[in-house]
Amino acid sequence: MAPPTDQITADRPESAPVVDFDLSTHNSMQSSNAAWDALRTAAPVAWSDDNGGAWIVSSYEAVTTAFRNTDAFKSGRAVRGRPGPGADPGLMPINAVPTKTTSLMIPEELDAPLWHPYRRVFAHLLSPRGVEALRPRITYWVTRLLDDVIESGHCDIVGTLTSGVPGAVILEWLGFPEQDWHRLSAAFHNMASYVEGTPDAQHYLDELEWTFQRIREEVTAVRDEPRDDIASFLANTVVAGERTSYEFATGMVNMAMSGGVDTTTSVASAAFVHLHRHPGDRQRLIDEPELIDSAVEEFLRVYPPARTHARTVVQDTEIGGFTLRKDDRLIISEVSACHDEAAFPDADKFIIDRFPNRHVAFGLGPHRCPGSHVARAMFKEMLVQVLERIPDYQIVEDELDEYPNWTALGGWSRAPITFTPGTRRL
Amino acid sequence: MKIHVQADRCQGHARCLAEAPEVFQLDELGYNTTDIGDVPPELQAKARRGVLSCPELALTVIED
Repeated sequence: MAPPTDQITADRPESAPVVDFDLSTHNSMQSSNAAWDALRTAAPVAWSDDNGGAWIVSSYEAVTTAFRNTDAFKSGRAVRGRPGPGADPGLMPINAVPTKTTSLMIPEELDAPLWHPYRRVFAHLLSPRGVEALRPRITYWVTRLLDDVIESGHCDIVGTLTSGVPGAVILEWLGFPEQDWHRLSAAFHNMASYVEGTPDAQHYLDELEWTFQRIREEVTAVRDEPRDDIASFLANTVVAGERTSYEFATGMVNMAMSGGVDTTTSVASAAFVHLHRHPGDRQRLIDEPELIDSAVEEFLRVYPPARTHARTVVQDTEIGGFTLRKDDRLIISEVSACHDEAAFPDADKFIIDRFPNRHVAFGLGPHRCPGSHVARAMFKEMLVQVLERIPDYQIVEDELDEYPNWTALGGWSRAPITFTPGTRRL
Repeated sequence: MKIHVQADRCQGHARCLAEAPEVFQLDELGYNTTDIGDVPPELQAKARRGVLSCPELALTVIED
């Protein structure tokens, strides 16, 4: 996805700390985190000419303020920011570096009032009560995918478990045929695993295009003949007495898949890497399993999967003493807010029982990730079963690979592990 | 002890429910919209944790 930053270069504001901050240059979690720490310390509200020219907010206070102000900061694709030569209405404005993709995500790319009825559909399906219905399937898939490897003593924990579980749970829930699951979840995962412009990256971009094609085919099929599954439910959503458009139906199914498939993967992989590198934390979770819930929150704070989002400013608005102008672009850093010492004492430390832990890994405000409850349930079950069933796993550090780009989503491409073989449960 | 819910701030994170399921109730969409009167003494510590956990700062303890 070539960032079309040359197409929209905005004018600098008259009064703003100007920084040189190109998000896309960081090819490791460590260097990206260090850059955010430096920026947040120097200028928590700043302007950078990079990324097409945008404000960047990086302190907890500025990030929480920005996320909550949905009157001034919009997510919708129709609002394009400063219209420049070549401005493209097909760009996804919720990404810090707007990406060229034709597949709309509903409701994330809508603004109120249009947003409301679509958000209600997801909020209801994925409420804590709604997730209870999915819990047996989550337990089943974690058990089954660990069963597949447990007698061998080795696997790639990313491919097997942290990518495999969300893929199976979400795609089964949607009702996609099982023979598609691996290819669909691999497309989302591998698209992020290779350096942009390389043949591998291009291959998985083509695979991602195939996933959009499969979504369109399934939506067409279930709008004609609904099945007893969530894709059918979403694709036939009724708003104000009328069935939603084919475009929005596709956008809802795309939202569920794109939001669900490679996101929990990221934090769960990071957690397994962390527990390998911090044996004291691993032992404490084994000895005191009641700490799992607070550990889940701390993993989310330290390793948030979605690192940045972006908005378009639609009215002049002050944050941190600076005026963000109508039509400016705004980059909001979840990862930086999560590491802000002002909000989290000893922010650079993983504190297994940190409390309170009001992190922003799922965003804040009306667009808070509606999948957060199912994400937590999947992540927790993976942690519990790994610590019960293969508690002595070791990561093969030489073969551990992280994503080559930490702009919007961070994660681990693969994490081979070895462990004392165990027994199947099913 | 009572708890005031600023319903327009709640975004359905459900951290209050996670801390004190005996105290907090969410509506069918997963949002907390109802003030809570008279939290029993044995649940007050958990309820306070629920209030402190809200990332939207939507909950306030009202002492007797």
